[in-house]
Amino acid sequence: MILQLIVTGISLGVVYGLIGMGMVLIFRAVGIVNFAQGDFLMLGAFICFAFNQKMGMPIWLSFAITAVLIGLSGIVFQFITYWPLRDAQDKTIIVSTLGASIALREMTKLIWGSTPQTIDPLRGGIVKIAGALLQWQYVIIIVFAALLMSMVYFLLEKTLLGNIMQATAQDKYAASLMGIPIIVAIGLTFFISMLITGAGGVMLAPIFFITNTMGVMAGVKAFAAVVIGGFGSVQGAIIGGLLIGLIEVFAGTYVSTTYKDTVVFAVLIISLLVRPQGIFGEKISEKA
Amino acid sequence: MRKLKIKNLIILFLIALAFALIINFPHISSIYMIRVLNMTMITYLAVLSLYVVFGMAGQSSFAQCGLMGIGAYITANMCTRWGFSPIFGMIMSMLGTALFAFIIGFALFRLKRFYFSFSTIALMTILNGIFANWTKGTGGPVGMGNLVQFSVGGFVFDTEAKYFYLIIGFSIAASIIIWKLFRSPLGRSFMAVRDNEIAASCMGINNLLTKNIAFAISGILCGLAGSLFAFLSGYISATSFALPQSQLYLVVIMIGGSSSPIGALIGSILINLLPEWLRFLKDYMMLIYGVGIMGLMVVLPEGLVGGGKDLYAKYIKRKRSRVDAEQGL
Amino acid sequence: MQNTSNAKEAVLTLNKVCKNFGGVVAAKDISFDLYSGEVFGLIGPNGAGKTTLINLITGIYKVDGGTILLNGHDITKTPAHTRARRGITRTFQHPHLLNRCDIETNIYLGVDLAKKNKLLKSLDHKKLLDELLEVAGLKLNMRDGIDKLAYGQQKLLEVVRAILTRPSVLLLDEPAAGLNQKEMEHIVALVDIAIKMNSAVLLIEHRMDLVMSICDRITVLNFGNQIANGKPAEIQDNPVVIEAYLGRKRGA
Repeated sequence: MILQLIVTGISLGVVYGLIGMGMVLIFRAVGIVNFAQGDFLMLGAFICFAFNQKMGMPIWLSFAITAVLIGLSGIVFQFITYWPLRDAQDKTIIVSTLGASIALREMTKLIWGSTPQTIDPLRGGIVKIAGALLQWQYVIIIVFAALLMSMVYFLLEKTLLGNIMQATAQDKYAASLMGIPIIVAIGLTFFISMLITGAGGVMLAPIFFITNTMGVMAGVKAFAAVVIGGFGSVQGAIIGGLLIGLIEVFAGTYVSTTYKDTVVFAVLIISLLVRPQGIFGEKISEKA
Repeated sequence: MRKLKIKNLIILFLIALAFALIINFPHISSIYMIRVLNMTMITYLAVLSLYVVFGMAGQSSFAQCGLMGIGAYITANMCTRWGFSPIFGMIMSMLGTALFAFIIGFALFRLKRFYFSFSTIALMTILNGIFANWTKGTGGPVGMGNLVQFSVGGFVFDTEAKYFYLIIGFSIAASIIIWKLFRSPLGRSFMAVRDNEIAASCMGINNLLTKNIAFAISGILCGLAGSLFAFLSGYISATSFALPQSQLYLVVIMIGGSSSPIGALIGSILINLLPEWLRFLKDYMMLIYGVGIMGLMVVLPEGLVGGGKDLYAKYIKRKRSRVDAEQGL
Repeated sequence: MQNTSNAKEAVLTLNKVCKNFGGVVAAKDISFDLYSGEVFGLIGPNGAGKTTLINLITGIYKVDGGTILLNGHDITKTPAHTRARRGITRTFQHPHLLNRCDIETNIYLGVDLAKKNKLLKSLDHKKLLDELLEVAGLKLNMRDGIDKLAYGQQKLLEVVRAILTRPSVLLLDEPAAGLNQKEMEHIVALVDIAIKMNSAVLLIEHRMDLVMSICDRITVLNFGNQIANGKPAEIQDNPVVIEAYLGRKRGA
């Protein structure tokens, strides 16, 4: 029982962590908070639904196509919401992403309707691990999300491409002096960020139903993960995501199913009060 | 001097025109349209609350709709379940919501900038969870129905038209108070906190307390809006007080412009009336808003009012330079 | 009015104030007294810790050691806004005006602060404001935005606002930096008003002509240390001070 809960919690948590990671990448690259991140998760789920259910493609193929498409849509998103506003105030960009969030939700509703849909799990059936019966899909989610995370980490830390992206994130002006095309680096960041978010959507879709509002709660929980972990920290997003996932599952079982989200966000507020900068965040200091 | 008088006359004329319109509106309009306008003004009150806490004090809150919900449920419980008078229920809604905002503010405002915004998202989600599940206090998922009508003495507000006057009355009163606030020491302290916290504290302003007071004042307005909503619609449930609605309020104030209450009014009117004017686009309306706000932020980042002001300033400047040029000749 | 004998009590007293940022010493055992009606100069090369000291006095930073007394009361742990209400007002090196508000809102922030003090509440703030604007040579349209003002006007406006609060301690952080000769004369005239008001003025400034002409006493900081104290004439001839300044030039 406990093991099952832990596995479920971790599998939810890694998906939140994945979305959170996407947010952190964007935040580090351009310094804005993307309020439409959760909606890309929803979009990913719907696109995969279209390939998998409407066109009858196998789930793995649909998954791969979806991931690439969502990544590309991230680049488009970047050109529409961020690039024209790159010199504007933060609040302007935030509201623009809010607008994108509304637009995405409505667009999917117009295309696919508001009936809840579902797709095939990445792998069905049940597996027995350490004496506990677990659903394959939860195990697959954990393995696959971990794989994606390490790939992104490797890309960021160990490759030239990653160095370019990080250089751009730290100092755009200096990076442009070094001959780095900022737009490419930022576009790539959005590509990766949305790709992992869309992948998260595909993984969550068999667990929850696919609706045009599924991204709202998932997005907000990913926010929570990022904030608990420490804003701007990739490890923080992952750890925060795991915490949120576990709290959600355990609160749902031991406290009350209806209040599980309330518990999650109460934990968020408490953690913000105790440690506003998050687990991995640096202390927030005021400049005089 | 003469110009100033003409300007005053125009303003007076506009006010008179607005009054004539307001008084006659229910007679010349359909009940449906009055209802739309009533909802518009309730939206306006909620967005006005956001003007105080976001426009003036610079704290982007995603919890306004949750505060509105608190106001609505207080009214519903007070008046319908326990049988207090509607006026008392409404006052308690305003005070209760303000008190809640003030107390929770001490926790939330320890966080700065978008950390605060996140905590309000969390607050909004918590409140919505409570609205949706606390069967005893909020009716749970079913909500609360058959709420009593608003009444003063023996006069019952039982038609949309009567509510129209009531809501317009409250809206005007609230607008005047907020307008006065702008030129008051308290209002100035809000804006000081918004623009520069360090300078504010060096001018003797307690940043935390000031933000709390701003949040509490926004709580009064939200409580009023929620209470009016409960009376008007006679039925409330958790779906009316959810995060997307709060996000929408933020979008509304950015459409209108966060620099003045007029922006809040224009934004509220647009968001509520545009679907009526463009009914053939009804299904696409939210999509149009979404795309529209993205476009608007590129073209007019300060909203319609801010953009209008800029245009006016340019016009004046051009006129002046023309006059100067003529005098030069 | 009090006479200017030595028996007079200090308005502001710094007693061995220390501040470190990480390993960097920004202030080490800084001690001095400020008396009402005098201008006290604080000079030193860039990075000497002058602005840090103002931040410590106003409470933006917390001290790591030592005490600060205002009129004999310990204010070391008092929050910044309370210190401001007790009469410590400052200006910033780069003006910290409310850049999204109009001039009226900015100016009346000073009046609001004065009105929080019971003793000052009933004074004629409007008259003082008119006088200060006149002296500062500012002719303003009150409803204009701050962005309509030139840099020098913004700095003057901030000084006007500070004096409008009728401070007992006025801290000026490089008020003349970036100003032309005429604007600098306005600053001097404004400081004169503050002195007549019996404020104690602490002046940070790089323009030595200004410092030497209006300061009564001067203290010199270098790397957070107080390297010299005295009257302007004494400071000018002090070899330690000269070395600190020349040394900086050589290094730069």
